[in-house]
Amino acid sequence: MPRMDSLNELPFPPLAAAAREAEPSAIEREVIALYGQFRDPLLRYALSLDLPVHDAEEVIQEVFLSLFRHLQLRRSRAHLRGWLFRVAHNLGLKQLYVNQRSNAKTTPDWARAMEQLDPSPDPEEELLSAQRHHRLQAVVQALPENDQHCLRLRAEGLRYREIAAVLGMSLGAVSISLTRSLARLARADGR
Amino acid sequence: MLHKNPHLSMRHISDEDLVRYADGELPSHRAAEVETHLKACWDCRARMEDTQSTITGFVRAHHAEFDGQLPPAAGPRALLRARLAQLDSERRVEWWKRVLQFRFALPGVAVVGLPLIALAIGILWFRHATQREWRSATALFDTGVAPNRGLTPGATREVTISEVCSVPHEQVVGGVSDSLRQKVLQEYGIANARPEDYEIDYLIAPQLGGTEDIRNLWPEPYRDYVWNARVKDALEERLHELVCSGQLDLHKAQHDIATDWIAAYKKYFHTNKPLSLSS
Repeated sequence: MPRMDSLNELPFPPLAAAAREAEPSAIEREVIALYGQFRDPLLRYALSLDLPVHDAEEVIQEVFLSLFRHLQLRRSRAHLRGWLFRVAHNLGLKQLYVNQRSNAKTTPDWARAMEQLDPSPDPEEELLSAQRHHRLQAVVQALPENDQHCLRLRAEGLRYREIAAVLGMSLGAVSISLTRSLARLARADGR
Repeated sequence: MLHKNPHLSMRHISDEDLVRYADGELPSHRAAEVETHLKACWDCRARMEDTQSTITGFVRAHHAEFDGQLPPAAGPRALLRARLAQLDSERRVEWWKRVLQFRFALPGVAVVGLPLIALAIGILWFRHATQREWRSATALFDTGVAPNRGLTPGATREVTISEVCSVPHEQVVGGVSDSLRQKVLQEYGIANARPEDYEIDYLIAPQLGGTEDIRNLWPEPYRDYVWNARVKDALEERLHELVCSGQLDLHKAQHDIATDWIAAYKKYFHTNKPLSLSS
């Protein structure tokens, strides 16, 4: 869709131009601007990998420190969004592995997540949407891991080619995975 | 959503194409075919709407699951800024090391010539640096990078933690009125100051409950001191984050920043010099 494309491509050229002369503080400013733009989507994705909040936040810090080094070395500025998610994915899984080894893995706190749903003026409606969220979340949790990653990355706005690059799969596999997951979600939703 | 009409299955749109169409991932010729078909076929249009509705449901559930867990960005952003500045200063040291290595790698003539050039540059740089140091030091005694505690003891309003934490840092910091600015400069005996020389800064930042009161305002030099306004801004963000994440009492934060903000910076960033020194 054209809107998504412009979202993908608009922010980078002016920033890239500003930093091309490579005065270090310009790169710092660029990294901080990208942090402002992508911190929440990346953090949500890191949390969806089942990382505790403080670990997820630390992973995102590492992602942007890597970005800083990447830009300092004048490496490619093409597809920075996909690059950020790929690094977050890899560092997130690495951290998860470390946590699992040290047996510190925490499971997501459903009760807390449910409390934080958007308040709705109508309690009945609120309950219904909470139930729907809960049902859909349960279905997503039951999907194969790769399918979960595809869905979450798509929900954060990544295009298929970006998802394919993050997860190291083919374009066709991405669209099959999304179709399969949406079909399962639809069944759980009673369609 | 997924039923298929056996008589028309060849002509109906596959589930995968529906999803790819909804996502704008079909090649344009195929997208045009799908669009034409959707106009003609109620069945496929209903499936399309179901697909959209499933996507909507998932996206809402995805946000409901995680958005409430996202901590405010101000603290982590301040930390990232500090880390970037540190990385950058390390890189500069590396750069000098490389220059020195390069010098020793050159053949005979250069070994003699380059040190002489380096020496000349060194002398110039040293003179420049000492002059700058001297200027900084004298200016520091003129007005101070720390406020005069007699004139600026700090002033706060009654606030609750939730009030302090419900508004992001950037939205609370308003400009100080011109008349108040002049009063503060007069109080500190600074005549003819240009606006770009001083920031009239809150000693206790508004996001920590500080008020726009002459007892809480002081002229903070913008010039290139080590402990400048940008460093203090980083401290304010850090304290706000610590208070809002329950790791620091609000009154303790107010007390520490009002008593000696530089000492507070050293304490809360665990460092003896500003981490953003090079930015």
